Amino acid sequence: MTYVALAYGFIWGAVFTYVALIGRRVARIDGEIEDLRQRLKPGA
Amino acid sequence: MLSMMSSSRKSGAAFLVGLLLTMQGFFVVTFLVANAPLEKTMGAVQKIFYFHVPCAWLLMLSTFACAGGSLAYLFRGSERGDRLALSSAELGVLFGLCVMVTGPLWARAAWGVFWTWDVRLTSSLLLWLMLIAYGLARRYGGEGGRRLAAALALFAAADVPLVYLSVNVWRGLHPNTKTVSSLAPGMRWPFFLSLAIFSALWGVLLVLRMRVERTQARLVELAITVEDAEGRSP
Repeated sequence: MTYVALAYGFIWGAVFTYVALIGRRVARIDGEIEDLRQRLKPGA
Repeated sequence: MLSMMSSSRKSGAAFLVGLLLTMQGFFVVTFLVANAPLEKTMGAVQKIFYFHVPCAWLLMLSTFACAGGSLAYLFRGSERGDRLALSSAELGVLFGLCVMVTGPLWARAAWGVFWTWDVRLTSSLLLWLMLIAYGLARRYGGEGGRRLAAALALFAAADVPLVYLSVNVWRGLHPNTKTVSSLAPGMRWPFFLSLAIFSALWGVLLVLRMRVERTQARLVELAITVEDAEGRSP
């Protein structure tokens, strides 16, 4: 049963880590868009 | 700028859908695996089958998607094809890693060793390494890196039939391709449901990853435009 738990835990750990990494990338893109928006504001 | 913000919002929404589906998949597959019947000779460790095989299927599917996208990029210059290739290669590395970890754990319990140079294991390892090489070629290959990686993806796709048929042709330790069709009825539906959930998760992650890549590409274009405009203004 230990091997099953290890294998199962690993798979979902890997998938959740991947989803979190994508989430971080989305947040970074949002930050960059906001930065560009500030630069495009009149008078900036 | 407005379309960029809308695209980013869509990426955020797609991310939430991806996260929710991942969590739902986790709970449903856990339930399925826990309630699946015990196999007589191997006992509980056989339950690794319910997620090891779907991950192996997704490794092969990712490779074909990567090769399809690469073909579109190489022969039509399709940026969308290139995004499909990159995103599916990443997913192939992810699910390939899962195969490379869950397989040896199962092997240790069933065969007494974590690894043996069986044809199925070796060809699967090669396939996974080719997808890693694809990513490395894109990242560090310089100007021609994308084309080099696309060519590599075609070689990786050629390895997929070898991986699949190796167990029937060379007959090593690994179970052959008839294992799924010979499953006991009680094991069939948890297996196919698990396969469907993993496949759906793969689809959502692929769309999400491609969307992020598209937004990133647009953002780079826009940043260059803004920098040019700032450079021209007095």
